[in-house]
Amino acid sequence: MLSLLLILVAALFFTGIIIRTKSLASGRKGPGIIQPIKDVIRLFKKGSVYSQTTSIIFQIAPTIYFASVVMAMLVIPFGQSKGIISFNGDFIFFAYVLALGKFFSIISALDTGSSFEGMGASREALYSMFAEPAFFILMGSLALLTGYTSFHEIFAALHVGSYISYAITVLATFVLVMVAMIENSRMPIDDPKTHLELTMVHEVMILDNSGFDLGLILTAGFMKFAIYGALVVNLFIGMVRYEYAIPMFFAIQFLMAVSIGLIESFMARFRMSHNAQFIVALTSVSLLIFFAVLLILGKFA
Amino acid sequence: MIIAVLLFQLVSLLVFFIPTKHKALFASLIVILNSLATSWLAFPALSGNTIEFLFNAGSFLGEIPIRIDGLSAWFIFIINFTSITGVIYGTGYLRAYNETAAKLNLHWLMFIVFHLSMVWVCMLQNGFAFLIAWEIMSLSSMLLVIFDHNNPKTIKAGINYLVQMHISVVFLTVGFLWVYFETGTFSFDAFNTYFGANSNIWLFVVFFVGFGLKAGFIPLHSWLPHAHPAAPSHISGVMSGVIVKLGIYGIIRIISFLKSDYLLLGEIVITISILTGLYGIMNAAVHRDFKRMLAYCTIENIGIIGIGIGIGLMGIGNGSPIMYYLGFGGALLHVLNHSLFKSLLFYSAGSVYQQTHTRDMDKLGGLIKLMPKTAILFLIGALAIGGIPPFNGFVSEFILYSGLIEGIKSNDLGQISLLILSIAGLSIIGGVSILTFTKTFGTIFLGSPRETLKHKPTEVSKTMLFPQYAIIAVMLTVVFAPKFYLNIIGNLLKGLSSATVGFDITGFTNYASTISNISIYSACFIGLIILIWAIRWLATQRLPVASNATWGCGYVAPNAHMQYTGKSFSKPLGKIFSFFLIERKNFDELSTGEIFPKERSYSSYYHDFFEFRFITRFSHQLVNSSGYFKFIQNGKVQSYVLYGIVFILAILIISALNII
Repeated sequence: MLSLLLILVAALFFTGIIIRTKSLASGRKGPGIIQPIKDVIRLFKKGSVYSQTTSIIFQIAPTIYFASVVMAMLVIPFGQSKGIISFNGDFIFFAYVLALGKFFSIISALDTGSSFEGMGASREALYSMFAEPAFFILMGSLALLTGYTSFHEIFAALHVGSYISYAITVLATFVLVMVAMIENSRMPIDDPKTHLELTMVHEVMILDNSGFDLGLILTAGFMKFAIYGALVVNLFIGMVRYEYAIPMFFAIQFLMAVSIGLIESFMARFRMSHNAQFIVALTSVSLLIFFAVLLILGKFA
Repeated sequence: MIIAVLLFQLVSLLVFFIPTKHKALFASLIVILNSLATSWLAFPALSGNTIEFLFNAGSFLGEIPIRIDGLSAWFIFIINFTSITGVIYGTGYLRAYNETAAKLNLHWLMFIVFHLSMVWVCMLQNGFAFLIAWEIMSLSSMLLVIFDHNNPKTIKAGINYLVQMHISVVFLTVGFLWVYFETGTFSFDAFNTYFGANSNIWLFVVFFVGFGLKAGFIPLHSWLPHAHPAAPSHISGVMSGVIVKLGIYGIIRIISFLKSDYLLLGEIVITISILTGLYGIMNAAVHRDFKRMLAYCTIENIGIIGIGIGIGLMGIGNGSPIMYYLGFGGALLHVLNHSLFKSLLFYSAGSVYQQTHTRDMDKLGGLIKLMPKTAILFLIGALAIGGIPPFNGFVSEFILYSGLIEGIKSNDLGQISLLILSIAGLSIIGGVSILTFTKTFGTIFLGSPRETLKHKPTEVSKTMLFPQYAIIAVMLTVVFAPKFYLNIIGNLLKGLSSATVGFDITGFTNYASTISNISIYSACFIGLIILIWAIRWLATQRLPVASNATWGCGYVAPNAHMQYTGKSFSKPLGKIFSFFLIERKNFDELSTGEIFPKERSYSSYYHDFFEFRFITRFSHQLVNSSGYFKFIQNGKVQSYVLYGIVFILAILIISALNII
């Protein structure tokens, strides 16, 4: 329950902070940090335009996408406090529920019969396919390290002790942040600010969405950021008491948003054809974590 | 009573004499009655009471044990359900062929024989009788595949299937004979003696190849992508749903007799299975022919089932009950699940084929507006097969993931690494299957039509829709009452093998309750979707809604050919894995002097790696080398008479000299 509230609060500001960081980095003052939320509220009040080609799929897809993100959010724990849903193997549920949302967002892009949206959909499907093993190997290694299989128990038992385990946490943070970038279609995989439909991934998929539906998709995007941020936070807090853990939560979320903003300000997007390789490389980082876990557990003996 | 059931099965052959018009109806009735009868026979076995009796088959075969244990009963129920839906769907699907009496006559007769032979395969526990039933099953299914025998491609696919099934029979025969010579009996009990006294590996490998050919493990899979597109859709549905599962049945049956080497065999099986899954789904992703795509997807699912079997074997090897139960439990549940959603997908794809007469998805588009029910049915099948909650595929995949994760708690470095890689493999399979099915669903049903079809497609008849609704109803019971199925599976696994007698089932029951909780969460999830949909409806009902053309970057005259195609959707994947997704393109290149190019055509297609690189090469070599012996068969009667004389003389001389 606590995690849900915290994630929702973080989601309110996350994207705003990214945008603010980017504008400060480029020497502008930029909009206030709750501007994205204001935009979404405005979208919720707007009417919609639907393409003549689209069918019912296009209309229900944003709802299902949003619901899947909310469902995934319920699984995330916060330190000692469980998520609303918690069971052995809940991280599998987490990944597959998000997959449902992805499935619908992809077919809704194909529903428009556009020449660009299919391109974005194809890329999104491919990239998230490649990101999947990185996440699963990471979670599998953590399960191996702690001997538990649910998010809550894994994170609660994750003791940062030896030097190797610091390395694990650093690498795991890297993997989770990158998975978050892929899932949210941000730099260096995708540039949300690009102007050309041919070079977009996520943005081109939602070209035809408008009004309430677009609002749902954007809100889901904010929450997705906060969800992955919360996962990263969970790597560190373990059994830390709430009075320290909660400020830590916001500090780490803030830090993550700022660093995403900085990455986006000073980096260019990878070449589309290199993205797949980059994402596969992420799996090898996960394998590094796996080997480190084997080292810690002394399985090499 | 049992004899009465068996006798009734003979009565069903009367379908031969029914007038063509009523044949389909009569055949459905017979299949349903046969299914009810055999299900009734098998029912007590589900709760753990093995039904067993001996059947005296004359002096040659001797006493044939007919035994229905939990495992047989599980498969018999799956066979019966899929056959019933298949025959009802087929009634609607083949309605257009009512004039071709000869075709239908053979078809329905063979369907009944096919159904019964599959049931018999699960019941017979004598090697010789088993092989007879197995052979009847292969032959009858081959005749079902070549329903459209005027088409040379269909005949070719049928013969390919026939040949490969007989290679499978050779391996099985070798296996049974091997045991026969060691123990002196064909009865399955002989396996216990054999495996107790000899090395387990080689005989298992022989049977794994034999049954694996039926199931479609790589590199033994190459009949599937030919036979499934060639067969009528209800046959593809039943074949993919059930007949390949009998390969799995055989493998699990042999495993139940094993006595040692579990760990090694488990590691072999899990490695082959992961590769099968990846290979199957990657190929499925690139193909344009949607029935071929589904065939490859069947290979993928056989891989997933195999992963379960591998985990289970490793579980027995490690003495870990939880791995044993989760592995085999996941495999058996996935057998059920796959038989459900794969037949659903083949039926709905068949509806599309019936209405459009093309299997090339890049010629279709926008069918959701013309065939909304079929579209939704296909979508449900697609979600379920991707293992996405809240559908049944997730339940079995979750069990398999849990089995893998329980497995990594072991102490053996090799095992841990293998299982972690299996987790990664399974997750890639899941990811690519999303790519495959978004592509297929999106290309066939969404967007706008890519080509004008000769007939405007309409929604198919109720006879064809009803079986699909029935399948979805059963799928939902797996989602919302998983405990029912898991209890049955737990029961049948308890007595499966002598090696697992003392295995503690509590770990598995704990997982069963976790899975029941997941079904509650799935229900909540559906509730959440409905809630958000309701909020959206409330919030937007007063807002203006406009309808306009799709955004085309300001280009105002887009046409349907400018839509993204299925081919391009999966092209990036095909490019990355081009080392085994072999693409060939047919086109004339523009020559240097050609200033005004003529009209030209372009086509591209994907080869099956194993078929293209190994099987075809090998069979070409075989055909070539047999060319050297052509001179013997020269067509001259004189030479043949000469051969006869030479042969007789040889015999005379040899026996005169007392050599033989």
